[in-house]
Amino acid sequence: MNTFFLEIITPEKTFYRGEVESINIPALGGACSVMAGHQPMVFATEPGVIRITENGKTREAFMSEGFVEVRPDETIAFSQAVEWPEDINERRAEEAKERAEEQLRRNRSAAEYRLNRQALARAFARLRVKHHNYMDGE
Amino acid sequence: MADITEIKHRIKSIQDTHQITKAMELISVAKMRKAIQKQSFSSAYFDSVRYTLKDIMRHSTDIRHPYIDRRPDNRTAYIVVAGDKGLAGAFNNNVLNLAWEHMQQRPVHYIVTIGQMARAYFESRKQQVDLEFTHAVASPTLHDARGVTRDILDLYDRNLMDEVYVVFTRMYSTSVHEPVMVKLLPIAEEDIEADLNTDYSGQIDYDPSPNEVLNVLVPQYLIGMIYSALIHSAASEHAARMLAMSSANKNAEKMLDALNLEYNRLRQSAITTELLDLSSGRFFSDNNLHQKVRHKNGKSR
Repeated sequence: MNTFFLEIITPEKTFYRGEVESINIPALGGACSVMAGHQPMVFATEPGVIRITENGKTREAFMSEGFVEVRPDETIAFSQAVEWPEDINERRAEEAKERAEEQLRRNRSAAEYRLNRQALARAFARLRVKHHNYMDGE
Repeated sequence: MADITEIKHRIKSIQDTHQITKAMELISVAKMRKAIQKQSFSSAYFDSVRYTLKDIMRHSTDIRHPYIDRRPDNRTAYIVVAGDKGLAGAFNNNVLNLAWEHMQQRPVHYIVTIGQMARAYFESRKQQVDLEFTHAVASPTLHDARGVTRDILDLYDRNLMDEVYVVFTRMYSTSVHEPVMVKLLPIAEEDIEADLNTDYSGQIDYDPSPNEVLNVLVPQYLIGMIYSALIHSAASEHAARMLAMSSANKNAEKMLDALNLEYNRLRQSAITTELLDLSSGRFFSDNNLHQKVRHKNGKSR
């Protein structure tokens, strides 16, 4: 299978670098996969799960909102936070979820509603990655 | 000529100060390195955010975003980033003076300060500070930058200001840092610093639409701008302090040399005087002895 060079960058570190076969991203318009030879494009993504396939093995990771740039030579994903399942703090995600739900119930302004929705989406995505974690292509 | 004990005191006090400035210089070097390292980690990320944003703004005509629309430019807000402490040469004054001068030309202005020195400066000029952040200077984190950005956007959303400038010290190299003023809001294409150096020059598609991508990019861009301003300012502060301290060190060494010379000269002349005293005393007592002996001998004879 053809491969392409993938980089995942956060402001703090380079999360991933390497040749991969495909990456599945939670784009705003719905989840989609990028494979080698994709048309140059920029995707905006929402908080969710990314799946990286490398050497036939698929790994999941959490990715916060950001964007993915597909260039002819490489693909770069930018996000505020990207985490492997083992790095996710489940307690913190659970607490964030509860906090966001509580805030959503109060619902003060449209801007706050949007912020809380985002926070909730992040918490849900983290928990999903943590629990439903199929490693090594099983 | 000064007293010898007085000089000794001065040498001691200068030595103590020298030790302090030496320690401060070393600390500043370490802190500056850390800040620069942080900057290099984040710059890859925010450079591409800037680049992509600029690309969208250049190539897409029908984009709309509340932070891009122009407003009548009457009310200006300034985010002034300075240090928490002095003893860094002209670092604080340079950046604060730049902000102050620009402010005087504006009919209505708001001031947001980051750092103790900035607040103290405006307070001493009887200029009200509208919002202050005090904890974001020493070692800025992304979390701090997010907090600052959120608060600023909150004010901007409430239509309290027409444009927002960031005034901070940009670091070009260890010895060159200059205060600069950058327009943060509204976002204009020409204000975005990005080198369009990619080899791919064709049209790039945006999914789902340029506008949606822009919505994601704009907050990131603003956070990145604030963050880089904080980091640049912190690195410049440490660099300025390092330079100030190294010149203080050199000065102290020079003063110590001069004082030591003076001290040794005085000590030498004190020894000479003492020797003179001794030998003259000896000379007199010897003379007396001779006379006495002669006296004695004469008597016994």
